[in-house]
Amino acid sequence: MIYKILDKEDYNDFLKKLVENYDFYGPVKKDAAVHDFQKINDVEKIDVDFKRTTVAPAKKLIYPPEETILSYDISDDIEIRSEVQADEKILFGIDACDVNGLAFLDKFFSDEFVDDFYFQKRNKLIIIGLDRMPTETNFSLSLGKEYAREGFDIFLTDLKDRYFVRIGTEKGNNLINKYAKTRDASENDFADYDGYMDNYRKSFKAKADISNFYDNFEIIYDNDKFWSKTAKDCFSCGSCCLVCPTCFCFNVRDDMEINLKKGNKIREWDSCMIPDYGLVAGGHNFRKDKENRLKQRYRCKLKTFVQKFDTYACVGCGRCIETCMAKINIVDDINSVKKEVSV
Amino acid sequence: MIKPRIGVFGLTGCGGCQLEILNLEDDLIDFVNAVDIVHFTEAITEHSDNYEVALIEGSVSTNHDVERLEHIAKVAKIIVAIGACSSTGGLNCLKNLYGVEKAKELVYGDKKDWIDAIETKPIDEYVKVDYYARGCPPTRSEIVDIVKSLIVGKTPEIPNYPVCIECKKLNNTCLYDLGIACMGPVTRAGCNARCPSSISGCEGCRGPIDEPNINAQIDLLKKYGLTVEDIMEGFNLYNACKKITDKSK
Repeated sequence: MIYKILDKEDYNDFLKKLVENYDFYGPVKKDAAVHDFQKINDVEKIDVDFKRTTVAPAKKLIYPPEETILSYDISDDIEIRSEVQADEKILFGIDACDVNGLAFLDKFFSDEFVDDFYFQKRNKLIIIGLDRMPTETNFSLSLGKEYAREGFDIFLTDLKDRYFVRIGTEKGNNLINKYAKTRDASENDFADYDGYMDNYRKSFKAKADISNFYDNFEIIYDNDKFWSKTAKDCFSCGSCCLVCPTCFCFNVRDDMEINLKKGNKIREWDSCMIPDYGLVAGGHNFRKDKENRLKQRYRCKLKTFVQKFDTYACVGCGRCIETCMAKINIVDDINSVKKEVSV
Repeated sequence: MIKPRIGVFGLTGCGGCQLEILNLEDDLIDFVNAVDIVHFTEAITEHSDNYEVALIEGSVSTNHDVERLEHIAKVAKIIVAIGACSSTGGLNCLKNLYGVEKAKELVYGDKKDWIDAIETKPIDEYVKVDYYARGCPPTRSEIVDIVKSLIVGKTPEIPNYPVCIECKKLNNTCLYDLGIACMGPVTRAGCNARCPSSISGCEGCRGPIDEPNINAQIDLLKKYGLTVEDIMEGFNLYNACKKITDKSK
């Protein structure tokens, strides 16, 4: 890690050069309700002062909601093509949670086999993170995901008159050297950075007591009363999964043209919260009830990958809480599990 | 590969669903090559009683509809309901809320006895329906998908999840976040979130998903300041015939 300082007066110039030279994506105000990570052509459109981003998260740049993974043509000879289109892109302005979210996906998509469709794009994505104060629903501190140790090329922290710059990769270093006027961080800068981080960590309002969840979850698992209360208003609409920066489930659909000669295999986001997710041939459904589906989501987020990767599959960004029309709240539910088991 | 003989029929409705087939544009030539269309009320003058698949639009709203539908069901091996009227009864069911006699009187006055109208029902109240291409109008690609699936011999994949999934994939801002009420959370997707994508609340024209959480939807709408009458109006617009029961509880 290299530490630098970028003065405020040089910050805009740095971004401007990046926007000029790269396919650049950053936060913009989409409408009255939300911000979204979109392609930026004009540096003035970037708006880092955002709270809600409950649309498809930034992972869509490398793991889109729908993508063609294979095309075929059986008109004459059988012809099968599978090409991944990937250009270099900069993703600017995601916070520590989202950097950690992408880091989780990196792990997931390279676990047992390497997912080429993901990594062709991921390897060409330059990530410039930016610290921001936690939103009301952000509970990443409780999961140890409030700080990004890795998974970024450059990470900026706003120290009022200057940015504290952490450089995580050679790619990031080259960008800084080429486009930014920086200086080395002094002891004083480090002290101010520590001060920012202390204040940041103190600003978290949403707190989940995740201690012992791993074991407590098994105790609560068969408590039907608890789950029917927790999932009572669930619409099974899948919104929580589709705004989640770590959800990875997908379905592969066959899309054949009506001439029955040409077609595509399309990979699309799926959600474990919809009834047909657990439906298998013969009509059996492994998770017929919404209670079972919510339970499964919590297990996946907070337990399965503790065993597998020694990490939560949840970064605590709070988007699922904000997007849920049934007001299902993962923080409250983690705390309720603890309370219920302690009684 | 079989080339199915298809009949396209219209019962009581606006004819717009048949028009959607004619509006297939880029796919139309391939569509008519892939199947053998032997009857198409709105498009061809020939009639045939020799078809395997019947695509039926419109609700059953007259005794004449009942006779025709029962005849079609005797001939066809597979029945596909096309559009809201055929699938859920659609807008036509609003008539039932007044009572048939009262509705006839309102519209036709002293000529009401000339009219052969009965209580409106979706076609599956009379015959077994194999597949549904729902919506007002139905999604063209879904009609094509169902026909393609029949040709290659697989079960068509009709979404059993709410419109929310499509909104999220399309990067739409949730209309509730913009203060607009929407039936999306309980309505079957497959329209590619047609209305919410134009910042217009879903009206439920594709009918509910298999297990809609109706009570939660009522609570949600109440939170957004709607009265019970507003809410029932929302549910009834396309679904007055099908009593929506909350199976998710």
